[in-house]
Amino acid sequence: MTRPGRWIGAGLVAAIAIVAIAAPLLAPQDPYASGTDMLALPSTAHRLGTDDLGRDVLSRVIYGAQASLAIGFGAALVAMLIGVPVGLVAGTLRGVIDVALAAVIDLFIALPGLVLALIITVMVAPSLRNLILVLGFVMWPPIARLVRGQALAIREMLFVEAARATGGTPLWIIRHHVWPGVLPVVAAQFATSVSFAIFTSASLSFLGLGIPPPAADWGGMVRSGYDYLAINPWMSLAPGAAVSLTVMGFYVIGRSFR
Amino acid sequence: MAAHAETPSRGGTLTVGLSNDSKTYDPIFSVQYSERYVLYLAFDTLVKYGPDFSIRPELAESWETSPDGKRIVFTLREGVSFQDGTPFDAAAVKWNIDQRLDEKVNSPQRQVLAPIVASVDVVDSRHVAFNLVTPSPVLFSLLGERTGFMVSPTAWQQRGPVFGTQPVGTGAFILKEWTRGTRVVLERNPNYWQKALPYLDRIIVQDLAGSVIGVQRLLTGEIDYVDQLTPSDVLPIETRPGIVLKPITVGRWYFLQWHVNQPPFDNARLRQAFAHAIDRDRLNEITMRGQGTISDGPTPPGLWWYDPMLKSYPHDPARAKALLAEAGHPDGLEFVLSTPQVSVFQQISQLLQEQLGAVGIRLTLQPVAASEWYARVVSGATNLTPTRWTQRADPDGLLYILFHSTGFANTMKYKNEQVDALLEQARTIYDVARRRQLYAEAQRQIVADLPMAPLLFGAEYAALRASVNGFAWVPDQIPRFRDVWKSG
Amino acid sequence: MLRLIVRRVLLMLATAIAISALLFFTVTQLLGSPAEMMLGQDASPQAVAALNAAYGFDRPAASQYLHWLGGALSGDLGRSYTTQQSVAAAIAERIPVTLELTLWSIALAVIAAVVCNTIPVARGVLQPAVTVANLVGITVPNFMLGVSLIFVLSVKLNLLPSTGWVPWSDGIGVHLQHMIMPVLTLSAYYFGAFSIVYRAEYANVVQRPFIRVAQAKGLSDWRVAFRHAAPNAVLPVITFVGVSIGQLTGGAVVTETIFSMPGTGRLFVAAIEARDFPVMLAMGMLIVVGVVVMNLLADIGYAIANPQIRHGS
Repeated sequence: MTRPGRWIGAGLVAAIAIVAIAAPLLAPQDPYASGTDMLALPSTAHRLGTDDLGRDVLSRVIYGAQASLAIGFGAALVAMLIGVPVGLVAGTLRGVIDVALAAVIDLFIALPGLVLALIITVMVAPSLRNLILVLGFVMWPPIARLVRGQALAIREMLFVEAARATGGTPLWIIRHHVWPGVLPVVAAQFATSVSFAIFTSASLSFLGLGIPPPAADWGGMVRSGYDYLAINPWMSLAPGAAVSLTVMGFYVIGRSFR
Repeated sequence: MAAHAETPSRGGTLTVGLSNDSKTYDPIFSVQYSERYVLYLAFDTLVKYGPDFSIRPELAESWETSPDGKRIVFTLREGVSFQDGTPFDAAAVKWNIDQRLDEKVNSPQRQVLAPIVASVDVVDSRHVAFNLVTPSPVLFSLLGERTGFMVSPTAWQQRGPVFGTQPVGTGAFILKEWTRGTRVVLERNPNYWQKALPYLDRIIVQDLAGSVIGVQRLLTGEIDYVDQLTPSDVLPIETRPGIVLKPITVGRWYFLQWHVNQPPFDNARLRQAFAHAIDRDRLNEITMRGQGTISDGPTPPGLWWYDPMLKSYPHDPARAKALLAEAGHPDGLEFVLSTPQVSVFQQISQLLQEQLGAVGIRLTLQPVAASEWYARVVSGATNLTPTRWTQRADPDGLLYILFHSTGFANTMKYKNEQVDALLEQARTIYDVARRRQLYAEAQRQIVADLPMAPLLFGAEYAALRASVNGFAWVPDQIPRFRDVWKSG
Repeated sequence: MLRLIVRRVLLMLATAIAISALLFFTVTQLLGSPAEMMLGQDASPQAVAALNAAYGFDRPAASQYLHWLGGALSGDLGRSYTTQQSVAAAIAERIPVTLELTLWSIALAVIAAVVCNTIPVARGVLQPAVTVANLVGITVPNFMLGVSLIFVLSVKLNLLPSTGWVPWSDGIGVHLQHMIMPVLTLSAYYFGAFSIVYRAEYANVVQRPFIRVAQAKGLSDWRVAFRHAAPNAVLPVITFVGVSIGQLTGGAVVTETIFSMPGTGRLFVAAIEARDFPVMLAMGMLIVVGVVVMNLLADIGYAIANPQIRHGS
């Protein structure tokens, strides 16, 4: 990825982060306050109009950044916490453990992520915490595979052979040789994972399985706005654009590290 | 739109858009709401409803009630046969009712019919007698809907389980094709007993994912009719030339329900606090654009058992807070509000959350898939939830099943012996004035007890292309297309 | 090669059964009997006990599972709880819709990816535009894309219908007209994904000697690109195509929802929401089988297409 790409990505991410953090300052209205001017088109009071309960769309889009970033980072973190150790163990230990883990990882990777997330989400109560856990659980296999591949490659290197020959334990080898090699790859993958988490959680919300109302949640907003496209299209298009830009920002950063 | 004195033109296809949740078109087992759209086309009922829920002749031309009220003899129309040629006669009627009463058949209608009808006997081929357990005016309203659809005994016995996909009735249209998830096609019955009807050649019931898509398809001309539209849904087409809006005459009843037989809602003050905290005007303004009607009780204006004097607890947040403190919760408390994933319920729930939050009652909304929601209410898993019901032709229809202690839809677990007695008495007299009194008293009691907090009566629309004529609403909100014709 | 295939097929069966068992037990244990759910707002609560007995919900989980598995292996996938329809029939009805959507979308994505990233002009001056298009395709969630397309092309311009499916019997033109937006929506992501893979491989391929030879021979840029570079660069895309089709066996859930298409994706979502076990289990199996089969086919396809593997280098 070219340099301008990296800067654009960073810019987008920084902008979203600022919006999320400064939401109470930036939002012109209370995102949860209903009003009797429903589905109004943009005006000076409501720059993006109002939704079906008379709430200010712009304020809701701004606050939506909070949930999205929380889910994105939370899920990516959970995925890392599971995937990295699993990948390290599989890549360093080899043998039966590795074969078993590799099979499990490959299977999960092959399944469509959204479908898996769907099945699990529907079984648990919808909430921010559960969503983070579910997405983290869906995302760890690709990370594990990446880490395993890296670990395997490092393993083959001579100095590791040397360390093993001189009696280094697996844990020592991981800490001193494998981990430093794996770390940059993992860091790059983090941004891509955040991107995927936000993408998938928005899709789940769109299908009605996201954070319960009245949360200002981008995917959910696109869903409710879908019925009113002919009246106030911003109800759907604004949060949809927000999701797209956020996903794009993190994705571009992630790719720029390859 | 002014009524024309035009002669209806013949022919054409009416395409109806519907979010179709039909599982079967066998009236004996029909339970789902949208099934009736097709049932009223393929079948006829013994009696039919007028636009004011009055009972009119249909397959039964007239009837006579015995002096003690326990025997009603129906005189059936002559020259009617089922779509497979089987003659429609008293034996067929007897068979139909017997099936519904038969434990082995296990029709969902048995539990409503069995307490009323003891047996049916054939007087002669044109006269059939119902022997009642007690006098029952309710029977007539039942015979105008599911229980009254007359099924061809021959076809039912022959086809067995597939009868639900290949139904045979006496109706104006014959079901030709049912592609689940896509459409139902019905064609004109050339041997229909009303010689002039139907005008249309074909009716197609097109599956829609939602009513909003219906509006878009109406505009492109893909469909001719779509209903269950909210006031917001019709905003883009209110003044569109070529589109006509028909508002429903009697709205669905929306209320908030809870379990009154156990804590915390067994505390009357808590329930009253809820009722005072709710601002029904605002609910109406925002979810119905002000076009709905505030509900003070179960019955909307327009039905003969409506009591204009009945008032529920008014919007009074200060009083609500005081009652909450009296009930032992000065700092407020938390609840989970179960919400079916239907737009209007989600809107109502979010507004309720706001209003109750203002007096210290903190609601967490729990969305439930629409298909799953009512099952959870029935099983008791859901305590607090908004719900809605369409009106029935007889006051007993809704009031008994919801508020009698043995009512099968009484998921509030409400039990008031006086109300029970009033409802039991009212369902066995034929005198309308006396019944009205009894129901007024019962509703007064129910509203005071608050097994639920009444919210509003909804406003809904059907949108039709201007070429569709002859459509009029019946208060049960099921469209009747038999008399419809297309011009131009 | 044959040994590999046999091993994979056995693994596939084992996986499918394992996943079905896992799914069955988690679903039944966590969600309980769907008996009440099958009765609507007008039905009788007494029937619940009768229903439980009739469907065997009161039997132990293991026995229920074996009963289901036995049926499944002989082709009887049971009846849907919500529609009483045979599950096998329900799925069979919907597969053509999903299959059609999938094939059109993947085909469009592959062709667009290859063409856009091969044409010398696109690789030169229009590069940034193509890059942005790839990026948009891969990051914009398809519900956003779908909703935007509907807004512009249906609501505002009234050019296309907002639903995705009418039967072929209603007319070829009408049918295709309804498919345009869903196909565009679904193919966008794959266009982006295939492009990325293709471009990376293309960059490798053009560095190989035989390309230089071709260029030195004076062949036009277009010929070099399409006749020499592209066929080699497209190989990893083929694998990816196989994998993608496999993933779409479960249906393009979001696209089918937005455009109200009666495909397997919507069936699956509806089944999940309604706790319709037979449909959920059958779809789960179908997805696993589809994924594994397509992966296998993709690997075989790659092996056949790649001369290095074919001739064993």
